[in-house]
Amino acid sequence: MQWLENGFFDHLDKFANSLGYENYEIAIPLAMVKWKSPEDRDVFIMTLTNQDVKGGGAHNFNPLAVK
Amino acid sequence: MAENRGGMRPTAPQNNPANVSATGGNGQSGRDYTGFAYGQNQALAEQQASAPMAAAPAPVRPPSQAMPGMGGGVTPLDELQPDGRPISDGVDFGAGRGSEALPSRITSPMNQSENLDLIKRYLPDLINATRIPNAPDSYKRFVNYLREQIL
Repeated sequence: MQWLENGFFDHLDKFANSLGYENYEIAIPLAMVKWKSPEDRDVFIMTLTNQDVKGGGAHNFNPLAVK
Repeated sequence: MAENRGGMRPTAPQNNPANVSATGGNGQSGRDYTGFAYGQNQALAEQQASAPMAAAPAPVRPPSQAMPGMGGGVTPLDELQPDGRPISDGVDFGAGRGSEALPSRITSPMNQSENLDLIKRYLPDLINATRIPNAPDSYKRFVNYLREQIL
């Protein structure tokens, strides 16, 4: 089994770390959303928090850095 | 002299696209089957009578189009709602008001306990996922936090 970048556990990692652990009750249902891509999810997180996406590792996507 | 018979006749009724039953396939009864071997027609009719067919399903309606003037709606990627409030209004982070702005039904303890039950049920799976190769440390730290909070 591999860690999938666009899978539920990856979504949960990004939402929990970006929104704060204490907001896990929001992070879990958001992680269950079938995001079209990790980029879509990350743009959503950045719009919501006004900060970079947290969690994950080197494969974090930062659309602002791509531009 | 050879006769000119058969072949494609463009004016034949089966070639007229307007000759379509208004009810389509639904107009067929589908009830009366005949032509089986002698003695089997009656047995089939009795069998049909003992097991009536289910009612025909309601016709599927195409999704309705938005009425003109209703606006395009809000997507998760929009920064503002049509009324000018940020999409994070009512959430305890981001711009706008916090959860105190939500109706009491949304923040009721009953919903929280239901969520906790759900998380408790799936916590073993969340813990198992920490053993997946390449699982990031940030995920493992979060699951540790969750375990401390819930167990």
